[in-house]
Amino acid sequence: MALMPERGAGIHGWGVYIPRFRIPMQEIAREWGWPDHQWRALGMMEKAVAGPDEDSTTMGLEASLNAIRRAGVNPKDIGAVFFGTESKPYAVKPSATIIAEAIGATPLTMASDLEFACRAASEGIKASIGLVTSGMVKYALVIGSDTAQANPGDVLEFTASSGAAAFIIGSSKGSAAVFEGSSTYVTDTPDFWRREGSPYPRHGEGFTGEPAYFAHIIGAVRGLMDKLGLKPSDFNYAVFHQPNGRFPLKVGEMLGFKPEQLKLGLVTPMIGNTYNGSALIGLARILDYAKPGERILVAPFGSGAGSDAYSLIVTDVVEEKRGRAPLVDDYINDKISIPYSVYAKFRELIRVVRE
Amino acid sequence: MGEWSSARVWRSRVYRYRLIAGRCRSCGRAHYPPANACPYCGSRDLDEVELPRVGRLISYSVVYATPFEDRDRSPVVIGLIDLGIARLVAEVVDVKPGDLRVGDRVEAVFRRIAVDGNTGLIVYGIKFRPVRVG
Amino acid sequence: MVYVTGVGLVNVDRHYDKSTRRLAFEASTAALESSMAEGVDFIIVASSISYLHEPQLDLASYIASSMGLRGVRSITVECGEASGLAAVMTAKALIDSGQASRVLVVGVDKLSEYPSWRVYKNLSLLYDTESDAFYSIGLGGIAGLLMRLYMNVYNVDRLTLAYWPALMHQNAKANPYAMLRFAITPEKVLEAQPVAEPLTLLDTFPLGDGAAALVLEGKASRGVLAEIVDVESATGYQSIALSDDPLKIESLEVAYGRLVERTGMGSVDVVELHDSFTITGILILETLRFTERGKAAEAVAQGVFSVGGEGPVVNPSGGLKARGHPIGATGVYQVAEVALQLAGEFPGLKVDGARSGLVVSINAMGSSSYVAYMRAVG
Ligand SMILES: [Zn+2]
Repeated sequence: MALMPERGAGIHGWGVYIPRFRIPMQEIAREWGWPDHQWRALGMMEKAVAGPDEDSTTMGLEASLNAIRRAGVNPKDIGAVFFGTESKPYAVKPSATIIAEAIGATPLTMASDLEFACRAASEGIKASIGLVTSGMVKYALVIGSDTAQANPGDVLEFTASSGAAAFIIGSSKGSAAVFEGSSTYVTDTPDFWRREGSPYPRHGEGFTGEPAYFAHIIGAVRGLMDKLGLKPSDFNYAVFHQPNGRFPLKVGEMLGFKPEQLKLGLVTPMIGNTYNGSALIGLARILDYAKPGERILVAPFGSGAGSDAYSLIVTDVVEEKRGRAPLVDDYINDKISIPYSVYAKFRELIRVVRE
Repeated sequence: MGEWSSARVWRSRVYRYRLIAGRCRSCGRAHYPPANACPYCGSRDLDEVELPRVGRLISYSVVYATPFEDRDRSPVVIGLIDLGIARLVAEVVDVKPGDLRVGDRVEAVFRRIAVDGNTGLIVYGIKFRPVRVG
Repeated sequence: MVYVTGVGLVNVDRHYDKSTRRLAFEASTAALESSMAEGVDFIIVASSISYLHEPQLDLASYIASSMGLRGVRSITVECGEASGLAAVMTAKALIDSGQASRVLVVGVDKLSEYPSWRVYKNLSLLYDTESDAFYSIGLGGIAGLLMRLYMNVYNVDRLTLAYWPALMHQNAKANPYAMLRFAITPEKVLEAQPVAEPLTLLDTFPLGDGAAALVLEGKASRGVLAEIVDVESATGYQSIALSDDPLKIESLEVAYGRLVERTGMGSVDVVELHDSFTITGILILETLRFTERGKAAEAVAQGVFSVGGEGPVVNPSGGLKARGHPIGATGVYQVAEVALQLAGEFPGLKVDGARSGLVVSINAMGSSSYVAYMRAVG
């Protein structure tokens, strides 16, 4: 078996943030004249909406604070902050520095914003594993956070939502979950993109499926299982990128996973697709409930396109860390329903002309 | 309108982002934001203390007479918040004003405070919201 | 000892056709004519928000030149809403020290220059931009939360507090310089549009422009309206959050204590005080101990501070609420109004036989407070 340097790294803290506001699917369907069939086919109920004073940076910071609480680390020991997003508040100016400053990790730390559609944070995890196992940094903070944009009236509007997940990655020693191995699968596949200066992304509709989402996740997961000599039944949980409620179930089925393995990590039907947070909030929810010794598969995907697959083994430390911050379910259940008009105002679909 | 200079935003970032208060070594009292001297006894012998992130709402006002740039979140709720070792005035968010009650537990959240026109800086800081989780 | 020998008032209104300088000129001219003074040593301009509404630095020099006073000594005083009384304090100090014998004090500001949302933003700068006004407190955010706190702490209902604006409107009816010269019922206050709940539009001042001027002299041989015995002041907390007792205006308590100590003053017959919001007026009455804590609203409703009541007559001008509140000019209006009352010449609601008066001007919720004790002469 190949050498697996990943085994030297683990997750010391995990945390999420989901904004309080929710828009039910019926609201969007009614506004744009979609049949209810449209969103039911996506396996969606409602999606989370960031408030007017929230953005990927503010949500990312809240998730980071929760991850740090669980990790119990001194922020000064965090040597790298990776912020994965495709909804940067500034086109030029890092959010990672704002978060690093707000958690107290500055100035002796790396900090950068990563971009790879919904998979930027996942690549941050991989980079962090390398930094930690090489001994270059003690801990790394990886954040996936998005206030996902969708052209109003586009079918994407049913799912594009807001939320964030964050992880403190350090040595496997003392961690709540140890990395067992990883695999990455990347090609140049234009399934979903947003040009510089354009407010909303475009996508290839059906093309986002087979050649993009499915091909890349399957490539990454099979690569991982081959490397580790594992089969789907060896995992207690699997969580995939979840652009809607249906794709992750389908890719799981194609790979040979059972719905019970996927259920805990599937959060998109309740909160929507949080892009960089999507699979990672699912992973956080699994860590909220998993028992020591259990094995987790996590496979984020980003358009453009690429997927990473990670295998994690939960340790007995997981239980003492759990209660140190709100659970994913606490955030999912803490909600205020808003109509389309308020959603449109909060997400600046109604453009106010400022001075 | 260009009212948020880079230097001004930068100078205050640490105590804005992390609720760092001033604490007097002479009388022991804390104050936020940190001042050059203790507002209570005038001592300049100060150190810093990070305030608790959860407190109680002492009173609040629901402000309709807001500047136009804040219209997207009007009415704005302004609260007087007791954090135990210090009090502060801050915006209270993520709540329908009618659901708010004096005495509510509130928690700090990191938010946009201001967005300077179409091209200027985004100013971040701490607001509060009612605790509903945990 | 300083005497008021001339006053000039411009009616508070939306003077779209008049610039800051024009308003200052009209008030100054009227004051100089009423005092029959020939020339002044100093002009002190009290102005605050004009810096944002009709931007001009070194305003006093330009106002002096524009009214033909080239060569006069000039100073601009900016102390927010308390600028007017701060300017009077400065003038008195110049006269007491012998550096001046006759000083023209003119307060001027305009609130009608921009749409209300912009005025609200600018007015929020009266509060500490490093604490309270770092947030979007708009017009009355701090006053609104203090009003709610007051209602909760003292178990006072909203309607009782509405007797204040009703009294102010009643008083202003006869004042030719007042902006709002119509009566309102307390019930009407509760029905008005909310500004910063629980306070409504009728709990606060109208957005008007104004200018007021005084001629102050150290030795007055003729035409003296009243004597300014003393002016005192104190600064307070940056934020109400720093105060252990935000329902007491600490800076005012200190300033008033100093004034009483220096002058030995007892009760007064007439008061013009700073009711930027209903709650501000109420808190000032209680800080001055005109009533017990928590009882001022009830006392106002019972007519204690009306003409013929047991207390001093408070704000016969209609106060900031109904006369209006052209920020930096307000303190000058107040001194002029009390001077006219003491001379028996106030053209509105008269306080017959008034021999002594008190002026109270504060900024925000007491970042600083100024108080003046005035007496009738002869
Ligand atoms: Zn002290």
